Amino acid sequence: MSEWWSYSLADFLLFSPRVYYRLFEMLNTTWWLAVTAALVAGIITFGLSIRHGNRGNRVALVLLAMIWGWVTAGFLWYYYQPINWIIPYFIPAFITEALLMVMFAARRMPLRFGWRGDFSSIAGVVMIVMAIFVYPFVGLIEGRDLIQAELFGSAADPTAIGTLGFILLARGSWRWGLLPVPLVWCVLSSGTLWVMDQNIALLPLIAVWLTVLGGWMDQKNGVTRRSLLDTGGDD
Amino acid sequence: MFLLGRRNFLRGVTAIGATAGLGAIKPLWAQTLDNRAVLDVIKKPIPSTGEMIPAVGLGSWITFNVGNDPVLRDQCANVMQAFFDGGGRMIDSSPMYGSSQDVIGYGLDKLGARDRVFSTDKVWTSDDGAEQIAETSDYWNIEKFDLLQVHNLVGINDNLPLLFDMKDAGRLRYVGVTTSHGRRTDDLIAVMKNTPLDFVQVTYNPVDRKVEDYLLPLASERGIAVIVNRPFQGGHLIDRLEGEKLPDFAAEIEVRSWAQLILKYLISHPAVTCPIPATTQPMHAMENMQAATGPMPDDDMRQRIAAVIGVL
Repeated sequence: MSEWWSYSLADFLLFSPRVYYRLFEMLNTTWWLAVTAALVAGIITFGLSIRHGNRGNRVALVLLAMIWGWVTAGFLWYYYQPINWIIPYFIPAFITEALLMVMFAARRMPLRFGWRGDFSSIAGVVMIVMAIFVYPFVGLIEGRDLIQAELFGSAADPTAIGTLGFILLARGSWRWGLLPVPLVWCVLSSGTLWVMDQNIALLPLIAVWLTVLGGWMDQKNGVTRRSLLDTGGDD
Repeated sequence: MFLLGRRNFLRGVTAIGATAGLGAIKPLWAQTLDNRAVLDVIKKPIPSTGEMIPAVGLGSWITFNVGNDPVLRDQCANVMQAFFDGGGRMIDSSPMYGSSQDVIGYGLDKLGARDRVFSTDKVWTSDDGAEQIAETSDYWNIEKFDLLQVHNLVGINDNLPLLFDMKDAGRLRYVGVTTSHGRRTDDLIAVMKNTPLDFVQVTYNPVDRKVEDYLLPLASERGIAVIVNRPFQGGHLIDRLEGEKLPDFAAEIEVRSWAQLILKYLISHPAVTCPIPATTQPMHAMENMQAATGPMPDDDMRQRIAAVIGVL
């Protein structure tokens, strides 16, 4: 369509903050059991991901895959897609992300998580803590009700931010395959929130920045290239 | 001396309603309507047929895109109820507006108001316009639209002939073309000069006045009805004026809010047929309809309105 040049970003935002935050209220009240289970799964995944060793890596990946599946079906497809025309284009990407996680879990040597004490580990933990424990309460500062909290595991933004954190906690080059979807989502979501004049728009951008910086430092320090067998693990 | 902004007006009426102890019986906007005589709303002619339509319509951009939310869908139906009860008819939407078309269809079902609405929608695609119009009909549950417009001139070479064919076949009453934000004005003017349009839709308000120079006179000359979108700049204009004192001369045209002053400014332009403000509040919908009643500003006052709003 040759006329796209005549539109601004704001022209594509066709819903108000009032409607947007009501999505989370409906999600949290209608599907409270699934929302709680997904949040607990996220906390368990966090616990598994900072441990050393191989045990729990597959479980962490499967839990993350289930979380991405739930975010796709519960939030994106049913609630968000009717008000945002771009969501149908993202649903296949979210499904792909979940399938990639399953694939990485099924490999003989699954993607491995663990605390390394370097910059990207710290950035990863900060992002996960922000996504699980901080992000839901940012709305309170902006005057929103707690029932509209965006919870890790069910809402797309904190899930994408937290997933970026998990990717930074992982090792090897394969992990970068998981990066594009949450990274692009964070950029898109930040733009959406920015157009809606929401201060929280900064958080997904900070997550993107930390991920890129952490990835660059991992590359520089050889974490990405180093063989898993050289890292003292028990694979 | 009028000190009321739009929100203050609403608060004031709310307080009156609360004092009267009527809150438990009906929503406040409904009580307010009950307590008034039926509004004597100004109607304006569609030049191509002479059919008269109320001089204020209802837009749905952003405000009606509420998805599957049952609470907000009912709120939208309440807005439509207040709009119809206030004498309004034209409701405008677009395939671009997310779930708005579906929500309008829900409201029409709930209110049983298909015989009251002047159904106005758009075609917005470079692909299959007929398919998109069929989807739009399904959302509204309306077989024959009163007006379909080519949205922002998208795919106009295919979509405009399609709409004229539908009109010729008796499946559509009026054909139009829209722009917003002053986009592609030259292209729109070319279409106005070369095709027998019934309607154009443009952005116009006391701050965005470019259409006054050429487009509105051309519409008059060519006998084309004019729908005005973004009369409040998507709400930004009202937000900017919130808390500002209305000018003294507003009392002369029985205006009680900035929204009403802006709407009277627009309605009183001889080329304008119908501004289509959007709102989420039934009380605002009613207040907007009230702007289409009573005395209207003359040319001199219109200039003063633009001058006052332009400097605030």
